[in-house]
Amino acid sequence: MAMTETRPGPAAGTTADTPRRAKNFTSRVLIPYSMLAPGIILFLVFMAAPIIYTLVLSFQKKKVSGLGLGKGSQSTAFAGLDNYVSALTDPEFLGSVLRVLTYGLILIPLMLGFALLFALLLDSRRTRAGSFSRTAIFLPYAVPAVISSLLWGFLYLPGVSPFHFLARQFGMELPSLLDPNLVTFAICNIALWGGVGFNMIVMYTSLKAVPSEIYEAAKLDGCSEIQTAIRIKIPIIAPSLVMTALFSMIATLQVFAEPTTLRPLANSLSTSWSPLMLVYRDAFTRNDVFSAAATSIVIALATFIISFLFLRIVQKRAFGQEN
Amino acid sequence: MRKSFRAGAVAMLAAATMLAAGCSAGSTAGSQSAATSDPNQKVELTYWAWAPNLDKVVELWNEKNPNIHVTVNKQDGGDPAVTKLLTAVKAGSGAPDLIQAEYQKIPTLVAADALADLSGTVANDTKSHFPDGVWNDVTLGGDTLYSVPQDTGPMVFYYRADIFEKLGIAVPKTWEEYAAAAKTVHAADPEAYLGTFSSNDAGWFTGMAQQAGASWWGVDGDAWNVKIAEDPTEKVAGFWGGLVEEGVIDNKPMYTPEWNTALNTGKQVGWLSAAWGPGVLEGNAGATAGMWKAAPMPQWDASKPATGNWGGSSTAVTSQSKNLDAAAKFATWLNTDPEAIKALVKEAGIYPADTAGAESSLTEAPAFFSNQPDFYKIVGEAAQNVGSFTYGPNVNVAYNAYNDQFAKAAQSKQKSAFLDAVKNMQQVTVDDLKKTGFTVK
Amino acid sequence: MTALATPPKNRRANPSPRKASKAGKADFIREKPSYVSTGILILGALYCLFPVIWVVAAASKDGTELFSTFTLAPSTHLWDNIVELTEYRDGLFWRWMLNTALYAGVGAIVSTWVSALSGYVLAKFDFPGKSGVFKVLLMGVLVPGVILAIPQYLMLAQAGLTNTYWSVLLPQIISPYGIYLARIYAAASVPGDVIEAARTEGAKEMYIFNRIAAPMMLPGLVTIFLFQFVAIWNNFMLPYIMLGDDHLFPITVGLNGLLNQGASAPALYTLVLAGALLSIVPLVIMFLLLQRYWRVDLAAGAVKA
Repeated sequence: MAMTETRPGPAAGTTADTPRRAKNFTSRVLIPYSMLAPGIILFLVFMAAPIIYTLVLSFQKKKVSGLGLGKGSQSTAFAGLDNYVSALTDPEFLGSVLRVLTYGLILIPLMLGFALLFALLLDSRRTRAGSFSRTAIFLPYAVPAVISSLLWGFLYLPGVSPFHFLARQFGMELPSLLDPNLVTFAICNIALWGGVGFNMIVMYTSLKAVPSEIYEAAKLDGCSEIQTAIRIKIPIIAPSLVMTALFSMIATLQVFAEPTTLRPLANSLSTSWSPLMLVYRDAFTRNDVFSAAATSIVIALATFIISFLFLRIVQKRAFGQEN
Repeated sequence: MRKSFRAGAVAMLAAATMLAAGCSAGSTAGSQSAATSDPNQKVELTYWAWAPNLDKVVELWNEKNPNIHVTVNKQDGGDPAVTKLLTAVKAGSGAPDLIQAEYQKIPTLVAADALADLSGTVANDTKSHFPDGVWNDVTLGGDTLYSVPQDTGPMVFYYRADIFEKLGIAVPKTWEEYAAAAKTVHAADPEAYLGTFSSNDAGWFTGMAQQAGASWWGVDGDAWNVKIAEDPTEKVAGFWGGLVEEGVIDNKPMYTPEWNTALNTGKQVGWLSAAWGPGVLEGNAGATAGMWKAAPMPQWDASKPATGNWGGSSTAVTSQSKNLDAAAKFATWLNTDPEAIKALVKEAGIYPADTAGAESSLTEAPAFFSNQPDFYKIVGEAAQNVGSFTYGPNVNVAYNAYNDQFAKAAQSKQKSAFLDAVKNMQQVTVDDLKKTGFTVK
Repeated sequence: MTALATPPKNRRANPSPRKASKAGKADFIREKPSYVSTGILILGALYCLFPVIWVVAAASKDGTELFSTFTLAPSTHLWDNIVELTEYRDGLFWRWMLNTALYAGVGAIVSTWVSALSGYVLAKFDFPGKSGVFKVLLMGVLVPGVILAIPQYLMLAQAGLTNTYWSVLLPQIISPYGIYLARIYAAASVPGDVIEAARTEGAKEMYIFNRIAAPMMLPGLVTIFLFQFVAIWNNFMLPYIMLGDDHLFPITVGLNGLLNQGASAPALYTLVLAGALLSIVPLVIMFLLLQRYWRVDLAAGAVKA
C-alpha cells in the first residue's frame, strides 16, 4: 500500500528510544506486538480469515447429480479458474462495472467540488450563518443509506414527488429521475447528499490547521479572497483532497445500498446494476456463493489497483517537490 | 506471521467460548439434546415466519402445550427467510426448527437439503385436509413429505365497483373484455388505469401464466425440463405487452408509494390479486373501504374457468431440527386444527389451505369488503379452479430473471420486448441449471 | 508522577490553533459580509435539510393522507403514529433503538480503544515489521463489507455465535480506517519526550498509553468514535445476515422489515417514516453536542510535520 508514502511519515522521526533499550528484544519486539495484538487478532479473525475463505470458495463449484433432490446429491468440487473466467467474461458484470465507472465520474467531481466550495466558504471571513450551514450540510451523514434512499425515493416518484406536483401546478411535466437515462443521477444525488458534508468537514479541518498569518501576508500582497483560495488554500490542503478523493473512489466502487433500495420503485435498475449488487444476487438470490466469491475477489483486486495507480499519479504531482 | 496467526486463532477461540458462555441473548434453534424419549421433556422450538401476528396464534399452542414451547422469530418475508436458512444450512448450524416456506421455494430448499422428511410423523396423516394440487407442492409428487400446507393464494380480480358503475363497465369475464375495459377506463381519465404490469412481482405473473395453463418446470425421468418459453406464458406476456404498448395499462411496479397513491386516488381502478388481497388494500388504501368488489379472474376460455395461485406458504421442519416429532406435531396443529385455522384467519388474514377449515372459518366477508357478503364464496370457487404447476430447483433464478427482463420490457413499452423477455427468462433458467450440473432435457 | 500530571493541561493547548485563528478572525469581522457566498452556503444547507423537512411532514400524516395530500403539507398525526409504532409488537421499535445504541455505542467505544492503541503503537514505536503491519491493516479499507459478510457468517456459525449480539458486535470492532486516523492523531499530539519521561520514571507501557497518550489523543479519539459509530449505525448487511431473531435487530434492519413484508401484507409506510424520523433524532443530538470534535484530519502530518 502506497498510502503511507503520501507524506514523510511523522513516526519515522520519533525513534526516541535510548540505545540501551532499543537493543532489548522485549521492548523492541514483544511490547509493541503485544500492544498490537488486539488489533492484529481481530484483523486476522474478522478480515483476513474471511478473505482467505472467500478465496477458497472462489476456486470451488457446486456439483449436482441427477435431479439434485435426494440427500447428498449435491456436492462441492474444485473449479479451477472457471469462476474467474465466467466472471470476467460475463456481460452483466462488465456492464455493472461500466455503470459504476460512469457513476463515479459524475459523483466524485461533484461531491469533492461542492465539499471544497462549502469548506472554503465556511473558512471565508465574509460568510455568515457558518455554524448553521456546517451542521445542516453535515447532518445527512448521520442518515443510514437505507433510510436516505427511501426518503429520496418518495421525492423522486412522479406520483408522490412535491417537485412534480409543483411543476404540474404550473402546467409543466418534469421528467422522472427514475427513467433509465437519468437514474444514475438519481443515485448520484443520494450519495452526494449523504457524503458532501463529511468531505466538507475533512477539508474544513485542514483549512483550520493553516496558520492565519499566511492569509494575512497574502492579503497584504493584494490577493483577493478568491485568489487566496486558489493560490494558497487549495494547494495547502492538497493532501486532504487526495485522501478524500481516494476514499470516495473506494466508496464509489462499493455502491450498493442506494440502488438496491431504489430498484423496486422503477423499471430502470436491474438486480445487477452495480458489481456488489451482482455479488449479492449471485450469493443470496441465486444461491451461488462460488461465483459470488470470485467476483468479490475481482472487485477487491480492481479496487486495490485503482487506488494504487491513483496514489502513484497524484503523488508525483502533489508531493513531487517534497520527495 | 504464521506463529502469530496460530496464537491469534487460539486466543480468539478462547475469547469466543467465553463470550458464548457469558451471553444469554438467544442462541438459536432448539439445539437441545435429542433425548426425546421422555415425553415430559420440555422442548424449545424456534419458528421463522413472516405472516403478520403469527405469534398470537402460536400463543394458543403454547398455552395448551407447556412441554413444546414455540418461539416465533418474525422474518422480512419469504425471500430473506429462505436466504438465511440456506446460509445456515451451508454453515451447518444456526437454522430454526420450523420455517414458513412458500410453495415455490420447496424444491430449492430440498435441493439444498434444508428440509426434514415428515412422512414418518403425524403430519403425514393430513393429506385428506388439502387439495391434491397443494399436496403435490409439498411432496414434489413423491412419497417424501417436506412441509405442511398453510395457506394458498387463489387469484381473483378486485375492482372499484363505484368507478365501474360510473363508467358503465360490466365486470370483464374474459381477457378480451378486460382489455376493452382497460381502454374505457383510460379513455375516461388519461391518468387512470385498470391495472399495471409489475416487473417486480414474479409470483403475480406466475399466477397468471398458471391460469393460462403453464407449468414452468417438469421432471422427465432423471432430468429437469424448463417450459417457460411456451405457448401459455407467451400468450400472457403478449397480452400484457400489447396493452402496455397501447398505453392503456400502466407499466410501473406495484407496492410502491406511487402505486399506493394511485389506489387511494382512484387512478388504479382494478387489481389482479389473490385471496389475501383485502389486507393489502386495507393497509394501503383504507379510505376506499366498501368501494371495491371481488370477481373471478377474467378467462381465456370462459367455458373452462381457471385461475392461478399467487403466494401461499407452508410450514416446514428444517434438517437441523433436533426435535422432528415435536415440530411436526406443532406444524400439523397449526394448519389443520379448527381453532388454529380460525385464529390464522382472524390474526394473520390468510386463506387456509385446509379445505374444510377454510369453509368453516371463512363465513363472513372481511371488513374491507363488507359491501360484498358473498366475498368468500367467490374466492372459494376460485380456489377450486387452480391448475397444477410444477416448480423447479432454481425458481429464484427464474424469478430474478423475470425482474430484470420484464423491467426492461415494461420500460420499453413494446409488445415484442415482452415476448423477448419470456425467451430470455427461459434461457437464463436453463443456463443456470446446466451450469450447476443438473441434467436438463 | 509529576510528569504525568502536566500532559492533560497541554492537551488543552491543542485545540488552541483553532481558537487563535478565530480570535484572529475577530479583527477582520468588520469586513463586509458577502451575500453571494452566504447565499451559496445557505442553499447548500437547504438542499441537505429538505428531505429531513419532508420526513417531518410525512411522519405527521396518517396512512390515507400520506398518499393523498400534498407531500410537504404537515398533518396532526405524528403522535398517533409514534403511539402506533410503540404498540407494534409490544414496543419492539424501542428495543431496536436500544439495540442500535448498544451495537453502535459499545461497538464504537471498543473499536476506538483498539484503534487508538494500534495507531499509537504504529506511530510511536519503532519495531521490525512495522510498516508491513501498517500496510496490511490498511488494505482492509479496500474490502467491501458486503463481501466479508458471507464468510463471516459461515465462520461465526461454526462458533455457534450467529443470531446473537456478539455476531454483530465483534466483526465491527476492527476498523482499518480508525487505525489509520489514530496513527495520525498519535503522531501529531503525543510528543515523544513525554513518553520517554514517563518511561524513565518506570511507568508500564500500557499505563503510559491509557493515562498519558490516550488523554492527549482524546479530541481525535472522539472523532474516531463518531466515525465508527456512524459506520456501525449505517451497516445494514452484517446484522441483516447474522440475525434471525427480530428482538436483536438494529433499527435499519427492523424498519426494512416493516417495508418488506412480502406481497401479501401492506408495507407499513407510516410506521417506517415515523420510525425513520425518530431514529435520526438521537444522532442529530449527538452530532450537535459533539460537533466541535468533528475534525477529521485525514492528512494532518503533511502540514504540521
